[in-house]
Amino acid sequence: MDFWIDALSTGVVLGTPLAFAAIGELIAERGGVINLGVEGMMLIGAVVGFVTGVNTDSVPLAFAAGAAAGGLLALVHALMVVGLRVNQIVMGLTLTVLGTGLSSYIGADYGSKPLKHDLGTVDLPLLSSIPWIGRIFFRHDVMVYLAGIVVVAVALIVNRTRVGLWLRAAGESPAAADAAGVPIFAVRYVAVCLGGVLAGIGGAYLSVVYTRSWSDQLTAGRGWIAVALVIFASWRPLLILPGALLFGFIDALNFQLQAKGVSVPSQYLSMMPYVFTLVVLTVVWTRQRTRNWGMPLALGVPYEREGRS
Amino acid sequence: MASRFEKRTDVGLATRIAVPILAVVGGLAAGALILVLGSHNVGDAYSAMWDASFGTSRGFEQTLTRATPLLLTGLAVTAALRMNVWNIGAEGQMAMAAVGATFVALHAESMAKLPLLLLMFAAGAAAAAGWALIAAIPRAWVGLNEIITTLFLNYIALLQLSALINGPWKDPTVVGFAYSKPLPPQAALPFIGTTSVTVGIYIALGVALLLGWMLNRTRLGFSLTITGGNTRAAEYLRLGVGRRIIFVFALSGAIAGMAGVIQLTASSGRLQEGLTGNYGYTGILVAFLARRRVGPTVVVALLFAGLLNGGNALQATGIPSSIAQIVQAIIIIFVLAGESLSGYRLRRTSSAPTATAGPLRPAEEAS
Repeated sequence: MDFWIDALSTGVVLGTPLAFAAIGELIAERGGVINLGVEGMMLIGAVVGFVTGVNTDSVPLAFAAGAAAGGLLALVHALMVVGLRVNQIVMGLTLTVLGTGLSSYIGADYGSKPLKHDLGTVDLPLLSSIPWIGRIFFRHDVMVYLAGIVVVAVALIVNRTRVGLWLRAAGESPAAADAAGVPIFAVRYVAVCLGGVLAGIGGAYLSVVYTRSWSDQLTAGRGWIAVALVIFASWRPLLILPGALLFGFIDALNFQLQAKGVSVPSQYLSMMPYVFTLVVLTVVWTRQRTRNWGMPLALGVPYEREGRS
Repeated sequence: MASRFEKRTDVGLATRIAVPILAVVGGLAAGALILVLGSHNVGDAYSAMWDASFGTSRGFEQTLTRATPLLLTGLAVTAALRMNVWNIGAEGQMAMAAVGATFVALHAESMAKLPLLLLMFAAGAAAAAGWALIAAIPRAWVGLNEIITTLFLNYIALLQLSALINGPWKDPTVVGFAYSKPLPPQAALPFIGTTSVTVGIYIALGVALLLGWMLNRTRLGFSLTITGGNTRAAEYLRLGVGRRIIFVFALSGAIAGMAGVIQLTASSGRLQEGLTGNYGYTGILVAFLARRRVGPTVVVALLFAGLLNGGNALQATGIPSSIAQIVQAIIIIFVLAGESLSGYRLRRTSSAPTATAGPLRPAEEAS
């Protein structure tokens, strides 16, 4: 039992950066912009967060700097794809190259530098004493709780507010929304940048809290998993939470099993969410072609107002 | 007197040539600025990169070696783009091809060199084409977004490769690294003369010639261009869009697969992680920058290979090799921005003529 509770609890921790990055990507995609640069934005957030943490001895500043760096990289994406209507796939991949290169360049001398402070864990009163559940969910650092709060907040904003309606309109039917007076371009700029900020926070969580060190390619493909997670969650914000938990749990389980010396081909375990998503996606798409699994209709399509003056 | 941006279709040849050249110059200048900010010597860095990429024969040989898989993945993406479908899965197709070819090599150790290599290429291309079809068939039949499926298939393929070299194919004599058992010696691609370049580059150039001929000089290629240019109209006219999507995807997968087999037989000699080396993703950038044309794909692949190769050479000088990636990304951003901006012109006007130009590229379907 302890084994599973430990794995689940570590899964919550490993799911945290995924949840931040994925909910960020979800915001951008619900606004109609796909950003395949999540890996690059997470890396830049991780390295800038870590470097700031080492130099200032402040965890909050580290997170703020990581968030700003991720947002800045996302701004490049927004300028290119919203402003100049460059192809989103190509620009996103380029952003990953840029983020990987920049993070490696910035972090070149920081590999062995130590971080003085950590976040520490906060046991939530009452909740943390629930058997099993308490140990799995409620004895973590504040960023874990914040990830949950952010996801719920985004879900409420996207589904229940005027701004959320604007966002969905920008992603589903930008021309109609534009005609109705929704500031499409502003909405898309903000959505993409917010996505970068959240990816930066996710990256900073990895370097500042989880590994507490920097090395090249620290995120090890988690940015790509975040992209997959948005699809897994069928673009529904609340589903990001169980999704991040599942991917994080599989990650944790692999570690735990290896530590115990159990020789399970862990690759097949890691493969499962992808296979599952592909199968479900295919079945759903075949049955109801029009609903498209929740994918925003204008995803990836640059919006252009005719006869700009 | 108002002024307005207007679309233009008559982007001159001079502009089309100037944009990439200015982008390369601008990218190198931006890289120099970053090097200066990091208090590194720009001259040292760039001369080391030049020597290791195009400046010396040894450097150029390595550039050719690196350009080989990049050219093939670029061509793979180009082929799919003719039908307006995105093959983001070249990375995974390379991996599956390497797996298929390794399977052949490990089970036919006694075969002679030429038949073995031919069989490995055939098996690799077939495995990769089959892998691509997993995405192509649902795309063709029910419109399932191929960007999502090919991306997912990459994760699965790379994990499958990893499972094999950590499991049944693992070389028990190697500790610490996950390698397959070494392939038989006759499974190595021959070198060209006394150089360090294998005949892989001939294979890649041969594929480029064939693909260019097929796309531009045959009825089949013409029908792909027409159908891909306006999928909706073609669908409406029952022009067999689905069949053609399946065809280009299989072709694209097979070409990417050749890159995987070349990586296996030219450099590593074993199945190992990192064999795909992001060539699948970089190939997308190559194809796009080459405007989905075969000739420019060769040039862009060579340029990128030189840049990445030069970057690797920096490690010896103490300058972070990541500067090459940064320069590469900035060049791409400049090209993309330049192309977008040169598609418009500023015109002072009192009346309001409507621009009738079509989009620079066919609109992507949302579904």
